[in-house]
Amino acid sequence: MTLKVTDLVGGYSQVPVLKNVNFDIKDGELVGLIGLNGAGKSTTINHIIGLLKPFSGSIKINDLTINEDVDGYKKQIAYIPESPIVYKELTLKEHIEMTIMAYNLDVDLAWNKANELLKMFRLENKLDWFPDNFSKGMRQKVMIVCAFITDADLYVIDEPFLGLDPLAVDDLLNLIDKKKREGKSILMSTHVLDTAEKFCDRFVLLHDGHVRMEGNIDELRNAFPDAGESLNDIYLSLAKGGE
Amino acid sequence: MSTFFKQRLGNHARELFRYLRYVFNDYFMLALIFFIGGAGYYYSNALKTLQPNHTWQPLLILIVLVFGIQLGRLATLVKRPDYVFLIPREGQMHSYLSRAFQYSAIMASGIQLIITVILLPIIELSLGFNSLEIISFLILMVTLKISWLDYDYISSFQVQDKWYLSKVMIRWIIPVIVLGISIYLNVYIGLAVSIVVCVLLAFKKNTAKYNPLNWRKIIDTEEARMHGIYQFFNLFTDVPMISGSIKRRKFLDLILKKIKLIPQNTYLYLYSHGIIRDNEMSGLYRRLTIIGGILLLLVTGKILPIILCLLFIYLIGFQLIPFYFHFYDNVFVHIYPINQKNQIKSFQTVIGWMLVTTAIIFGIIVGIANYKNVNTILGVVFGEAIELFIFLKIYLPRRIKKSEFNR
Repeated sequence: MTLKVTDLVGGYSQVPVLKNVNFDIKDGELVGLIGLNGAGKSTTINHIIGLLKPFSGSIKINDLTINEDVDGYKKQIAYIPESPIVYKELTLKEHIEMTIMAYNLDVDLAWNKANELLKMFRLENKLDWFPDNFSKGMRQKVMIVCAFITDADLYVIDEPFLGLDPLAVDDLLNLIDKKKREGKSILMSTHVLDTAEKFCDRFVLLHDGHVRMEGNIDELRNAFPDAGESLNDIYLSLAKGGE
Repeated sequence: MSTFFKQRLGNHARELFRYLRYVFNDYFMLALIFFIGGAGYYYSNALKTLQPNHTWQPLLILIVLVFGIQLGRLATLVKRPDYVFLIPREGQMHSYLSRAFQYSAIMASGIQLIITVILLPIIELSLGFNSLEIISFLILMVTLKISWLDYDYISSFQVQDKWYLSKVMIRWIIPVIVLGISIYLNVYIGLAVSIVVCVLLAFKKNTAKYNPLNWRKIIDTEEARMHGIYQFFNLFTDVPMISGSIKRRKFLDLILKKIKLIPQNTYLYLYSHGIIRDNEMSGLYRRLTIIGGILLLLVTGKILPIILCLLFIYLIGFQLIPFYFHFYDNVFVHIYPINQKNQIKSFQTVIGWMLVTTAIIFGIIVGIANYKNVNTILGVVFGEAIELFIFLKIYLPRRIKKSEFNR
């Protein structure tokens, strides 16, 4: 069990955005976090990566909470934010060095991986450029490269598909697949439901700070027999019915 | 639209006051008051011994006033989203801008009057003006400044560039001519010329306002203006709007390459790369080190070089402190599995290296300028050592803790 979220109540200020969220991710599993804008997806992610402190409840990664060992907890996470966040003072090469340094990676090994990824995303000749001047899709690729050279157990990916070209989306899905086969877990929030339907092992449907439904696509279909076949139909009927 | 400007001005004033609270609540203000007091004292003493001189004094007045007139810009208070949201109101924007012009003209004229009044003793001494001439001269400065601002107003609209309406013409050539006439020839002729220019520009303004707005220019200039203000406030507190440009500075990679890629050095790596590449910070460091160096080369004396040396090191170090929070808004520094305790140590190291470099440069310059005066050189060396120790080990951590608390 890589990630276990238990009775999580949390949010940004006094008012809880998340009201009792429960779900887990097993080793080698890709879980899709689905919900409308404002449903609490990003808040959930911010709690998992340790930016927010839960009001109550617990989050465990491989049975470790952040309070037991901050560095040990964070070492297990790699994060790809929704809108790419880069250091405007650092070149692409230096972003990779930052990651190597912060995660205490083996320099040669990490660079081997990085070069492979850079080539895949056609960034290998831009090492000395500033990602701050890149287009959104290219900055997104920088985020992906930095995240996938770490040895994290849990990849937290916030809406990865918008802004990426189709080739890069395909490459990203392959990378995720490879990590899954290595036994790593992935939590991915997205609005692109048909891609999610194809690739995710399970889904967590968030609505208004609650987990409305959790399970694989067959379980969802059984729970909403009238809604239709696709994840999109199921989700629409759930979201509209929830009002 | 004029109530809209009033509303903007209210928000603007509120924002300024919010930041001014931090400015006045600071040791820096104390240092500044001492500095102004000292400078005033020095100036009044210098005036007492000054003999009238008809070559360098008029020239000095001319130069100071021509540069002084560049202070104070048109504060339009427009914001970037305006060109989307105000599209349907563009035809009425001129009434908004005239309100902005009135406000800016009052502020800028105030600045001009202050500068001129400070210079009055020299003006009286050197040019022998009587009171009517002095009043004319003050009016002339205000009309010149209004003409100066007219350029900003006119170029807010899409008007054809003409030679007589260019920036250089209105902001430099005309002031030089008008002030030249008033100082060397006759102040009344100068006043007449400046009034004619001002009236002509007022006509031009009136026709220009029916042209389409030059949104890009208005927004860019206003943002540049606000950036200057935020830069000042950023010395005292954290201003979120500030973000400088980046320079590669490849030649300094030699130093940066020395940092070992281990987790303890994460912040060291960030701060050193950040400060070197951030134009704001490195520009400030370079400017103050050069100005301080030149000053120290020119100044001789027993105590003065020591005071200047220490003052400049403090000024540089003080202005670098806000950079501590530079990466605070980047999620990744919070996500990295690194010990946050290294942050302040790394910052001390980077600032330490920078200040030690400045201190050595200053020391060498003082040594050259005062090679006969061993006591002064020793004073500088020991003074710097003590100052650096206090600044880095005691002042810096305390100040950061205080700002952290205020965040």
